[in-house]
Amino acid sequence: MNEVAQANHTEKKAFLVKSSSLKDVRTFCREVFAKLQIEQNLKDELVLAIAEAAQNIVKHAYKDDPNTKDIMVVKISCEDNKLQIAFYDRGTPVDPKKVKHREIDNIKPGGLGTFFIQEIMDAVEFKEGGKPWINHLVLTKKL
Amino acid sequence: MTYKVEEIDNKRIVHLDGEIDMEVADKARNTILPLIEAGHEVHLNLSKVEYMDSSGISILIESKKLSEQKNTKFELVDISKPVEKVIAMAKKFL
Repeated sequence: MNEVAQANHTEKKAFLVKSSSLKDVRTFCREVFAKLQIEQNLKDELVLAIAEAAQNIVKHAYKDDPNTKDIMVVKISCEDNKLQIAFYDRGTPVDPKKVKHREIDNIKPGGLGTFFIQEIMDAVEFKEGGKPWINHLVLTKKL
Repeated sequence: MTYKVEEIDNKRIVHLDGEIDMEVADKARNTILPLIEAGHEVHLNLSKVEYMDSSGISILIESKKLSEQKNTKFELVDISKPVEKVIAMAKKFL
């Protein structure tokens, strides 16, 4: 629990759907969380969860397509000490029923990103994209 | 991400530096796995890794599995605080 009361704040930024954008996504998040005075430990966890969600867009919604010129949007809002991170993309529609982390006894790599997101965030919701978007993922965390 | 490999007899100490994510995962994988494949004992130094995501953890899992198949050793020798946290979160998979 963060003891600093956060002022209401919203920022969003668009990124090319490329693995090379993931560093920029992390930088954007770190800058916003610094403004929100979120403590380092929680900041690291939130940056990891957001970067994993962005990675899932690149890897799964776009199959790491090197030719796409599409963008994804990351929007971070903080209202009444509740943090909401929204992702918008126009990739392959996500079937929420198929999004799950792997079983603990399955030691093959992959699927860990979803596990990290679920461990770190309070809620993970797939919502209607709304034009021009296809996928709209919302992560929330009480501060 | 940058890396350096030290050679001491059959031991290879791989020092990784920077951030390990999907973008650089193949570079890290292609550095570590061939050493294990060749039968070397690999010690991975992560003291200068500032960030690691699930792509990095996947490399650790692959390396551990391959070292078991090759009957050789794969060890983490020094781990930075940020990486330690991610490993702790993924511990049940490692």
